[in-house]
Parts: sequence; C-alpha cells; structure tokens
Amino acid sequence: MKDHALPHVPLRPPETVLRLARMAQMMPTRLSFLRVLVRRLCAEHATITRPVWDMSPEGFGRAVYSIALGGNTYSLVAISNDLPADHRSDRVIATAWDAAFVLFDGVPGPDDLDRIAAQAPKQEAGRFGPRDLVLSRANKSVRMWEATVAALKAGHQPDPDMIRDIGYLMRTTAVYGNGKFGIADRHLIADRPGLEGPFAAEMLTVYLIRHFTLDLVQFVGGAPLAPTLARHLGIGNATGLGMAPFLVNHPVLLHNWMHTRETALARVLGRSMMTDAQVTRLQGLAHRALAHLADWHVPAADHDATLRKLEADWLAFLPNFDAPTSFAALWQAGQMQTGALQELLAALLIEACPEDVDDLAADMGDPFGPLVTPFPDTDAVRSAIDRDWAWALDCDYDAADHCRRFWYVSAAKLEPRLGDRFAEPGAELETPLDTARRVAPLYAALPTRPQPVSEFTAAHPEHAHAIARVALLNRYPYAEIRDNLIAATCRPIDMLRCKLSFFGATKFDPKSDLWTRVTLAQGAPLGHELRPEMDDWWLPVMER
Amino acid sequence: MSWTEVQNLGVKAASGAGVPPAQALAFGAMLARHVADDGPQGAVTAALSEPERIVGLAHKVETIVEAASISSKPVLAKEEDAGTRAMLVSWIAGLPCKSDLEVAGAKLRINLSLTEPSTRGRPERLHLEPSLAALMTELAAKTYVPDSAASRSGGAGAGLMELD
Repeated sequence: MKDHALPHVPLRPPETVLRLARMAQMMPTRLSFLRVLVRRLCAEHATITRPVWDMSPEGFGRAVYSIALGGNTYSLVAISNDLPADHRSDRVIATAWDAAFVLFDGVPGPDDLDRIAAQAPKQEAGRFGPRDLVLSRANKSVRMWEATVAALKAGHQPDPDMIRDIGYLMRTTAVYGNGKFGIADRHLIADRPGLEGPFAAEMLTVYLIRHFTLDLVQFVGGAPLAPTLARHLGIGNATGLGMAPFLVNHPVLLHNWMHTRETALARVLGRSMMTDAQVTRLQGLAHRALAHLADWHVPAADHDATLRKLEADWLAFLPNFDAPTSFAALWQAGQMQTGALQELLAALLIEACPEDVDDLAADMGDPFGPLVTPFPDTDAVRSAIDRDWAWALDCDYDAADHCRRFWYVSAAKLEPRLGDRFAEPGAELETPLDTARRVAPLYAALPTRPQPVSEFTAAHPEHAHAIARVALLNRYPYAEIRDNLIAATCRPIDMLRCKLSFFGATKFDPKSDLWTRVTLAQGAPLGHELRPEMDDWWLPVMER
Repeated sequence: MSWTEVQNLGVKAASGAGVPPAQALAFGAMLARHVADDGPQGAVTAALSEPERIVGLAHKVETIVEAASISSKPVLAKEEDAGTRAMLVSWIAGLPCKSDLEVAGAKLRINLSLTEPSTRGRPERLHLEPSLAALMTELAAKTYVPDSAASRSGGAGAGLMELD
C-alpha cells in the first residue's frame, strides 16, 4: 500500500466495522470500484463505438462495443438470444440466458467473434482464452423490458415510476474474471492503466452491458429513450452465496478495502475547516440521500421496514446539516444514531471530499498476496489471539446453534451452498470458512511453555490454517470478519452487502438470507456523457 | 489452462486427497509455479497419492520461512528425493515474498525477503499434463457434496420465479 500522512483521527476499529450486523448496513462510496472506473472513463472523455451490430428486429443477434481506456482498447461482445420464459433463472445452475457477454482485449476479428459467439452462451461449460478478460450473462427484467419496448413502439416514454421501482432492463447473474474457464488471469492485466483496481475489468464489462441494454431496447422499440430515464436505468445483478466466501478467501483484499474506506473517513473527519461550498454540498447530498431512500422499496417486509426506519431516522437527522461546524461534529452527532445511519453518514462524508479521498482508490488492490512474518514462538500466537480473537474464544462451538451452518460446494455446477449440519448430508466436506471455530481449539492446544511454531505444527498440522489466519491480522488488521460464520444466525446477505457496496451497488433487494438483487450504474453517465462533470451519481435519484 | 485454474484445481485436489486447508492452499500456489517453471509433473502425481508427503513438504517450507524470519543469512536445506526437491523449489518460488534459490545436488541455499513481494513473472498459459489434470479433477470432485433436491431447495435463489 502507498504511504499516507497519518490521519488526524483514529480509524474505526475492525471490531466495529467488521461485524456482520454492521457490514449489512454498508453503502456504496466514491471509492466503490464502479465509481472509480467511471470516474476514470470520465477523466479520459472515453467514447464508445459500435463496430458490429447484427441484430434481428426482435433484438436477437450479436453486437460489439469498443472503448479506449488508459491507452488500450477493450471490446464487449454481446450475444443476445431468444430465451423461452421457462428457462429464465438467476441461479448458477441455470444453463441458458437472454444474453451472454465477453470483454475482449482489443477489437475482435471475425474469427474471434465466431469463437466467442459459440462459447459465451455456454458460460461455465465453454472454454476461453487469454484475450477474453471477463465472461458474463444476463437475463431480462421481463416486466421492464416489455413495458419499455411497448412504450417506445407506441411513441411515448416508459413509466418513470416503473423505472424507479425496477431500475434496469437486464440483470447479470454472474460476472467471471481472473482466469475462470480459461479467461485471462488477473495478473495479465493488473498493471494496465485504468484496470489496476480490484474488479476494474468486471466493472468495465458491467458498464458496457448497461450501455448495450439501453441500445438494444431503443433498437427494438424503434425510438430513443429520454436521457433522464435512460440514465436511471442501470444494470441489475443477482448475487448469491458464491460471493460470500470470497471475503474470507481473500483476506488481504478485504483488509485493503476496509482499511482504505476507514482511512478515507478518518481523513475527512480530520479536516479542521469546512468551507461554505462544502456545507452546501453536504446539504445537497443529505437531501439526495433522503430522496434515494424514499425511492428504495423492496418486497420483503422485514427489509423494507429496515429501510423505512432508516428513512425516518435520516429525516430526523437532517437538521444536523443546517449549520454544521465541522465534519467531526457531524460525525459525532451520528454516534447517537443507528449503525445503518452511521454507515450512510460515513459514505456521505466521503462523497463530499473527493480531494481528500480519491487517491486512496490506488490502495485497494492486492497484487502480491499476503506478506506475513511468522510468529517467533507459540507464546506470540497466544498473545495475538488474546489481542485479536477474544470474540472467537467466547463461544461454545459444540452448541447446535453455534455450528449449525456448513458451507459447501455442490457437485451441481459447483454452486456454493449453505447447509444445516444437523439436517443435511455433506458436512464432512465443508469449506473451511469456520475460522473462529478453528482458532478456539488452536488456542486451547497451544503449549504452556513457548516452542517454535513449526515444532507445534509438526505435531498439529491441523492447526496450521488457524495460525495462518491469526498471523494475517498482525499485518492486515481488517482482514477478518469478526463473527462466527457457521452460527445459525449467520446471514450470507450481510457479507454480500459488504462486497457489493464496494462494487458500487445500490437498491439492495434481498430475496432471502442467501441472495440479493442489486442495481449497478443507476444514474451513471450514459455512454456519450463520459465527462468529468458527470461524476456525481452517488445514491442516484431520478430527475423529474 | 490459466494460472488461476491450475492453482485452484491444485487446492481442491490436495483437499480431496486429505491435505488440511492451509497446506492445500499452499500446495495450489506451489503447483501453478511448478507447472509454470516446467517442474516434473510426475512428482506432483506421486505426492497426491501420499498426502502426508504434501503436509511434510509444507512443514519443511514453514521451517525455512521461520529461519528466514530470525536471520538475514541464507537458509540451507537438503532434500534427497529429486521429485520432492523440485516441488520444494517450486513451493518456495511460489511464495508471495521475494525469494532467491540456489540448488546444488540435494542442497538448497535460500534467501527470502519476507516483506518484499515476489518479482517472478507468470506466463499467460500453463500446460498441465492430461493424466495429472484427470487425477486432480477426480480428487477435487471428492470435495463436492452430491446434488440433491434438499440441497437445491436450500441453495441460493431457490424457489423463486425470476420473471420480475
């Protein structure tokens, strides 16, 4: 990571921000990966061209979109299919989709196009090469799609309320990068200008897919969408369990993301002055956040109730923006409020101070892997556990509700799933996400007299995993979720919320404890609007 | 195959062979480096039939890293078996930190800079021998839970129509 001047205020500790209940409240920020990518595109005044458009009047066929970023050209190859309604599923175990996509390195020639057209619709069953950077697929929001096409064909615009409520024409159900199914490894593109950040190639793909969906609906509808409506159509995403283990399996990335966000907040809180322009900006953002919350409704009653409470709390909190004396005072006022409000406030404060935080985006990747120094002896392991893992020791992992869940990979298309240890077979094959449960027996097994750790692991190789996780926190304190991930109360959507907020997702719409729908790029500048002044779409609200 | 595919297959195969998680994870990193550096793939096949050998190799690397953390002097190691030695070299070369190795017969002289990142390049493609790929795919499959109606219904997104 880059060296920074020390922030003037301490960072919020991992024990606060890495609890599942708090992660479940996270909001996108201007450091979210899609924001960073679009900001870069805007800074470069990027333009999108469409070298191939071979579509039937119904919108089935292929298209290619090319864009220059950082001196390289990338192309989205889009394959649109006529999908029977009964084949449309968001699950990983689906085998057909409305559209399939590949982000290609360069501009594909006819042979590349034919190859991708043959492979991309197969998704996980296809094979790809090192010039294929990202693989994705999407299904239509049938209601939104049909209503938009019908409106455009009838010579008017689609219902703005429907756009507000749904927010996208298609939603992706997977966006694969980093070597999956033979596509390019991350390391092959990680030093390309504009793609250095985490998931940058995936975010570019998502942005171009959104552009494609807008293009396609206007082609099929035979008329242009009003820009204010088009801008509010993002790209949906359905995300399930597969994303949750990522946060556990990539601890350095989790650290870098969380540490960067907390550093950004601390930098803002460390500002001694607040200008009139900043006050005005804060007030504008605060009212925008309220309007965004008012537009954000979800079908699940419990989640909607949570949103309505946040909306009410935020409305009551708004007077704090009338004449704030400092960023720190605003933040202090938020400390009496709920965690949800605090997370919204944190994202807002970060949004208000781009000059303090935007350079931090460069710190969010992990090009090296963990650089960890081993413990000098087992006493040092014990001390580290005492310091960082007390929360994990205070739990009876034999109690059914503390170990009820087990994470596993299904033989069906390798779909990650979560089982009930006491009701389903397969617990003996569980994926090792039970870090807390592994640290507790390690602690109990440590010898009373210090010995080299390698001597200890020679006798207890089963504890090596827990020791590695404990060692990580020495250098990467934000690398571990501070909760028992096999407890009956563990909700994977809390982990999804954290990760998706870093992607820049909005309008979280949980469908169960296991999966959620979100919207990406809603409010983002359209393909012909990529200019610096357009980078103002945090918590978007439709222009009326 | 991509680097990531080989590495992940290695992790799953080692897990399927009965290797504990930390050692399986490290084995995957070793495997990708090993294949990239044209290490003998027969040695990997042999190791996967003896998971304790992989655990032993992981432990040997742990002692080397431990030694490097307490002294700036090169760490000396010895491995008589040529196949195991080749994997030991790949294991160390596959660490995230900077490493320099000299091999003379059975002896290894190792310099590790634990806080500096590795500077070793990675190729665009890796070639895994078909027999090893088949063995690892078979072992990896042992880590998957057979599909069932119950697990499908409990999986992500189950039971909902998608026609929004």
